[in-house]
Amino acid sequence: MSTQVHQTGSVKDYFVSLYEGVTSTARAMWITFKYVWSVKPVSIEYPEVREVLPERARMRLFNDALNCISCTQCAMACPVDCIYIAFEKFPEGTEIRKASNGQAIRLKLTQFVIDTALCCYCGLCTTVCPTECLTHSHDYEFSQYTVDLMKYDYLAPDVVAWRDRIVKS
Amino acid sequence: MLNQLVELINKNVPGANATAFIPEDTAKLDGSVTVEAAKILDIATWLRSNTEMPFNALHVISAVDYVEYFEVCYMFAHYDVENPREVILKVKLTDRVDPRLDSIVSVYPAANFQEREAFDMMGVRFNNHPDPRRILCPDDWVGFPLRKDYVYPKMYNGMEVFPDSKMNFEDREFKARQDLINKAQKAASVDEVQ
Amino acid sequence: MQSRWDIGTPEKPTITSETEKLKTELLTLNMGPQHPATHGVLRIEIKTDSEIVAHAIPHLGYLHRCMEKHSENLDYRGVIPFVDRLDYLAAMSMEWTYVAAVEKMLGTEVPRRAELLRIMTAELQRIASHLVAFGTYIIDLGPQTVFLYAFEMREKILRLFEEVSGARMLYNYIWVGGLWNDWSDEQLARVAAFCDEMEVEAKKYYDLNSTNKIFINRTANVGVMSTQDCFDFGATGPVLRGSGYNWDLRKNMPYSLYEEFDFDVCVGTGEIGQVGDCYNRYIVRMNEVIQSIRIIRQVLEKLEPGPIMAKVPKIIKLPKGEVYMRHECPRGELGIHLVSEDGGKTPYRLKVKSPCFTHVSMLPRVAPGQMIADFVATVGSIDIVLGEVDR
Repeated sequence: MSTQVHQTGSVKDYFVSLYEGVTSTARAMWITFKYVWSVKPVSIEYPEVREVLPERARMRLFNDALNCISCTQCAMACPVDCIYIAFEKFPEGTEIRKASNGQAIRLKLTQFVIDTALCCYCGLCTTVCPTECLTHSHDYEFSQYTVDLMKYDYLAPDVVAWRDRIVKS
Repeated sequence: MLNQLVELINKNVPGANATAFIPEDTAKLDGSVTVEAAKILDIATWLRSNTEMPFNALHVISAVDYVEYFEVCYMFAHYDVENPREVILKVKLTDRVDPRLDSIVSVYPAANFQEREAFDMMGVRFNNHPDPRRILCPDDWVGFPLRKDYVYPKMYNGMEVFPDSKMNFEDREFKARQDLINKAQKAASVDEVQ
Repeated sequence: MQSRWDIGTPEKPTITSETEKLKTELLTLNMGPQHPATHGVLRIEIKTDSEIVAHAIPHLGYLHRCMEKHSENLDYRGVIPFVDRLDYLAAMSMEWTYVAAVEKMLGTEVPRRAELLRIMTAELQRIASHLVAFGTYIIDLGPQTVFLYAFEMREKILRLFEEVSGARMLYNYIWVGGLWNDWSDEQLARVAAFCDEMEVEAKKYYDLNSTNKIFINRTANVGVMSTQDCFDFGATGPVLRGSGYNWDLRKNMPYSLYEEFDFDVCVGTGEIGQVGDCYNRYIVRMNEVIQSIRIIRQVLEKLEPGPIMAKVPKIIKLPKGEVYMRHECPRGELGIHLVSEDGGKTPYRLKVKSPCFTHVSMLPRVAPGQMIADFVATVGSIDIVLGEVDR
């Protein structure tokens, strides 16, 4: 590369550096000028167009509470302690349902709350769930006005009803 | 390599009492050299300037709190294409109230920020350090966070540390409250029966 | 007639005893925590004598999250999301260093396919990180177009990472014993296509910037760090190689399967400006992108189907002892000092030696004598990420 940095102040240096300055700038400007007509747009015009996320994308968590066996593996695996689980034993004589992977549900889940404001979306809880009821959905637009509204209760009746509408079994 | 280094240190720096710790399984764990705390500046000077086994850079100073004593680990490395090497040099400090060491900033300028961090996090003070201030915590923080007996302050400059509204106590203690309610209900139903 | 533009001739000042009593003071400026050129929340207190910097004192700790203390309460798998958040622009390299330390103490042997994919992921991450370093460095100096060109290329890598691991920035992908998910053949074909595109783009960046006279005048002979300075302060990575010293952990103290690969170490030669100036550090990073592409192509040839995860116990318990693991990350050498007690389920002490922390400590030595605009160029050229500096 012949571009000089140390200049001695002679007339020849003046013209050489002028030539180098003009040619390097012209070369660069030609590259940017090509973008005027030859490039496809790369921006996605959110919110009119939403990108289709890949299958493994880790967005907000969703728990299918009717399939949960209350093993609390997710709460123990969570590095920031954002899953709060409470369960109790069924009263005697209730028949035992089976979860979707065949395991029997022996404990009654009384509280399953995830604080999505604390969640770091690492996915460690979804990998240890034995029935795979805790999964990542593709929802990333769930901001709220107050931090308290970021706590998601997956035993709330409207959530369970929504899940029944979609999951037929 | 560690045994050779220990011999050289003991020969060249009197009073250093260097001992090597070589673990049984060297593929899994790293060995180290333990030296006397009072001689650290002489040892550092020798490490930088000697010709048999020089170490031209200090990587990191890591302070570990074993409950009865502190251990300050210096990682030295030599950047040379023919003979690259690195060593962990350990110093044991038994004073829990005001542990002190000589600063090696005059020999290895890299120690400046590293010693400030050891002071900030663990409370180990370094004599003759040009800028003995906290580096990561705010300048008026009280306490040394990485000690095992560290207790969080309740307030800092009028702000509450760990405010109750953000600790999610209600959710964490839901099970305990449910158990209490169930026990009370059972006791009430037993009373009714009686 | 006196025109209204005539302000008259000023009087020549005479030296009186009053004038001799005037003294000059250094002006203290804050290159404050909110600043577009400090690449994070870094406060540098600059004492200037008109335009020349006399002292530069960095104040750290604005992003201190005490990750080392948190990790003492987490099991070894749960620390991986925390280690991600150290240098968030090169998260794969951070994860790999920590996981390599745990695997060394456990004695697990990682399957070959997982090692090769880790190398490929780390080199892709190196390209992505150098693109950020390059894009944001250019925008510090003034031009704004090139930033978006660099990020367009980075978007392709991030999209690939999102398909494989699930997240674009903080991956939690490299696990103890292997990897979380496997790469499909279609994704590997896209990696190969990306390599071809990136070579063309690298030539474009060379034409845009590296030969541009304005850029050269702004970065050559500025912020010179000699080799002796680098050894004094323990600088590593592109800063040390930009100062002319040939030291790369992947070649000199190889780890994982790097001995099987054929690549060159990029060292600053000083043909423009001086060895150790900002231009050389920038050129070292640009050349490292080309070398990373070479390594990725060799990995794609060597890949064979196989398992990606070794058998690791459900609850990881490490023996008593310590390990200091160093890996070559895009910003320097990351060191993880992991101390564990016998049968411990959580790390007893996790100390992170971050390269950017040592590079920030070089600023007080390099700054005096520069002009403020040159100082901005120097701070940008050492490529700091505050998540790593403050942990």
